[in-house]
Amino acid sequence: MKINEFVQQVKNNQVDIVEHTHKVIEECRKLNQEYHYFNTISEELALKQANEIKKSIKNNDKHIKNKKLLGVAISVKDAICVKGVESTAGSIILKGYKPLFNATVIEKVIQEGGIIIGKTSQDEFGFGSFSINTDNIPKNPFDKERSCGGSSGGAAGLSQKLSNHIALGESTGGSIEEPSSFCGVFGLCPTYGLVSRYGLLDFGNSLDKIGPIGKSIHDAALLMGAIAGHDENDSTSLNSGRVDYGSFLKEPVKGMKVGVIKESFGKGIQNEVNKAVQKGIEKLEDNGVKTEEVSLELPIKYGIATYYMIATSEASTNLAKYCGMRYGASEKLEGSFNEYFTKVRSKHFTEEAKRRIMLGTFARMAGYRDAFYLKAAKVRTIMINEYKKAFKKFDALISPTAPMLPPRFSEIEKLTPLQSYLADVMTVSPNVAGLPHLNVPVGFENNLPVGMLLTGDHLQEGKLLQLGSVFEK
Amino acid sequence: MKNFTSDIVIGLEIHCELNTKTKLFCGCPTKGSEEPNTRTCVTCLGMPGSKPVLNKKAVEFALKLCLALGCEISPELIFSRKSYFYPDMAKNYQISQYEIPLGKKGKLKLKEGKEVGITRVHMEEDPAALVHPAGMKDSAYVLVDYNRSGNPLAEIVTEPDLESPEEARDFMKQLITVLDYLEIFDVNSGIIKADANISIKESGYTRVEIKNITGFKEIERALMYELSRQKGEVQRHKTIHHETRSWDSEGGVTFSLRKKETEEDYGYIIDSDLTAVEITDEWVNATKKTMPELAQDKVNKFVHDYKIKKEDAEIIAADKYLAKMFENVAKHVNPELAAKWMRRELARVLNYNKKELNETGVNEKHIIDLLKLIENKKITDNVGQQIIEKLVENPFDVNEYVRKEKLEAVSDVSELEKFCKEAIAENPQAVEDYKKGEAKALNFIVGSVMKKTKGKGTPKEVNEIIIRLIK
Repeated sequence: MKINEFVQQVKNNQVDIVEHTHKVIEECRKLNQEYHYFNTISEELALKQANEIKKSIKNNDKHIKNKKLLGVAISVKDAICVKGVESTAGSIILKGYKPLFNATVIEKVIQEGGIIIGKTSQDEFGFGSFSINTDNIPKNPFDKERSCGGSSGGAAGLSQKLSNHIALGESTGGSIEEPSSFCGVFGLCPTYGLVSRYGLLDFGNSLDKIGPIGKSIHDAALLMGAIAGHDENDSTSLNSGRVDYGSFLKEPVKGMKVGVIKESFGKGIQNEVNKAVQKGIEKLEDNGVKTEEVSLELPIKYGIATYYMIATSEASTNLAKYCGMRYGASEKLEGSFNEYFTKVRSKHFTEEAKRRIMLGTFARMAGYRDAFYLKAAKVRTIMINEYKKAFKKFDALISPTAPMLPPRFSEIEKLTPLQSYLADVMTVSPNVAGLPHLNVPVGFENNLPVGMLLTGDHLQEGKLLQLGSVFEK
Repeated sequence: MKNFTSDIVIGLEIHCELNTKTKLFCGCPTKGSEEPNTRTCVTCLGMPGSKPVLNKKAVEFALKLCLALGCEISPELIFSRKSYFYPDMAKNYQISQYEIPLGKKGKLKLKEGKEVGITRVHMEEDPAALVHPAGMKDSAYVLVDYNRSGNPLAEIVTEPDLESPEEARDFMKQLITVLDYLEIFDVNSGIIKADANISIKESGYTRVEIKNITGFKEIERALMYELSRQKGEVQRHKTIHHETRSWDSEGGVTFSLRKKETEEDYGYIIDSDLTAVEITDEWVNATKKTMPELAQDKVNKFVHDYKIKKEDAEIIAADKYLAKMFENVAKHVNPELAAKWMRRELARVLNYNKKELNETGVNEKHIIDLLKLIENKKITDNVGQQIIEKLVENPFDVNEYVRKEKLEAVSDVSELEKFCKEAIAENPQAVEDYKKGEAKALNFIVGSVMKKTKGKGTPKEVNEIIIRLIK
């Protein structure tokens, strides 16, 4: 059953939403035992919401018929604040932290009748590509020995396994798209600023974007429509009008032009990935899409370096607030404040968080900031210009989403930090440029899903959905 | 390094609270309940996921300051994160400005006309307040009050143009007057703090920074102390260290906080939670239109247009309410007379009562009525002084009061003569003493007449009559 049909059934009182929600929570518990998709299941909140919806339907509340997500289970990446529900961004340093307020996206989801079922597992603060930098590691829905990708690993895995559900993910450098690729689902990372970041536990403020992950492209489009829009609590929020993203899915793709990024099919891309993405390109062509090879040198060559300079510089300031003073992990109070903060931070951040704090702090120190932080900001501008030039000609650009099939945990262990950063090689550049991009599942190789990345111009999410609809089963 | 020529080199970094109603990046009130941690929200507490939203009013206030100091205005307002760990920091970074301050290259004139260069003026948020329950030294723990966290501050950095502690004090005073005129700072309850850099020729200008000096009187004290300390060290052949010191106001001494081997590194990055705000010409021009005339403009105007003494003009202009009143009063009475009375008598009485003019309820009409009576010799100076004292206590209609209390000057000589005769008859001893050559004895008789007339006759007139009668 499609989600919009399910929503209609709830509205028509054909589904007992409370009973349904009980079942969903039960299923989540089972899945969680096997796959570790949740850090917290918010049963209490979900049932409270379900009961309210049930009451409204019973009372013939006239607002009910406008609610786009009525009764739909929505999982939330752990980095997004849900009032009163433990929100840790996958970090031990925030164990037990229950936010005092809802993120704007949560307010919007609740407003549309979506039911918050819990917080999904992720790399600590989004630091990772495999969701292994945390104490609750999600497992790939197609092979439990393999990674879901990251950092929104729990969200992508759950989207594959749980029906009548859409996930809220978050991407800084590929954290929606890459796990969506590894789990065979649709993940849409919107234009920077299209969705409010208010209430998101920050990683890199100029990079972070909240976006939907769904098993069907309709699901992703539906949630996108519910969460997009201006928010006065987020100064970087765009003043864009309301868009019905679902409407793009019905538009024909014939005559659209896409550029296939030449540099993204070179060295370092697994053959299986290459093969599946080529098939995806052929499928677009079969539907009348014109494709053409395009050279975009900068994004592949300098994307990783630029991204890691900006992202870690920003992250190292964002993580400064976690010092054991007012919330989260604490230690016995002794010594000077400096000694105390050091003790808390040394003990409760993972190695990867510490590595990124050190990298980022170094990149912005006097004597280095010109060469690293400021230079990265300049490259970012040049990169945006290069993309903009391409979008004069193309409706979208194509590359693989990840250079590899979902790897085994045993393989990941052997990777150096730099090798694991290279998993983001395709996704970092659209993220740095603030461009919308969509992962579409294009097929299976060795029984594992492969994703193709569609990147569009700013605020052209509609075109991506239009092209992506070709891949909907 | 600059080639200094003066014996003493001082530069200041001043932080002043802008008196907006709400904080710089959230809607919490800047004033109100003093109960700790009641004027807070997730943003000024720095809770994870909260985001700053800029208060445009604070920008307008800072813009006014920049314009008053003749600064070049940046076309864009960009905020940076200044990172350092400290328990009063809600996020362990402070939202401040770095590369491009709102204003730069301004100047402010000291009393004697010397111009002090302003390097930059920028905006930033105030940290929380640390409370030491048993005093700085003896507290077993420290409490944090976030009521102040996020209040808007303007930081003003001067060039090292000041050459004495007195000049530093005067600079602070002139700055406070500007802030007061602009109505962007609460002179009575606002906090203004300075960090001062001071060095002397004898040490080869080794710079010492003194942190956290509150108010303009303290700056002179702190710098006086530091100056004599540095001179003493040099005389004893000791080295002056490049260091940061703190001012202990109670003890009247500075003490070393840390040696500065290297400059502190705050790892500034752009705060990308805030977008760059364009400071358009329209905005600047609109702000200019709302700018009042400042104290130094007023001094010039008073001296040139009203021909009053510069000294009087400066004292009147230093109080914006007094200045405004003077301008209106001077339209109705002789400006010199107005200046003399407002500067000497009114200022004296206010000072004595420790009151601000705007608190007293004394308005222009009171002063105009009073000065007209004096100008037309309807009342004596003596009566005028008494009326001012009473007005400051509790204002009333001056003309009516004079009528009711029968305070009109006695210009009728025969009436005055009557009082004088009485006084002579009542004080035979004084008359005799005067005749013996004790000139002072006359004052006693004059005083007695003044008492009888309630000061309505001028002492000069009374004096003459008595001498005539005794002879």
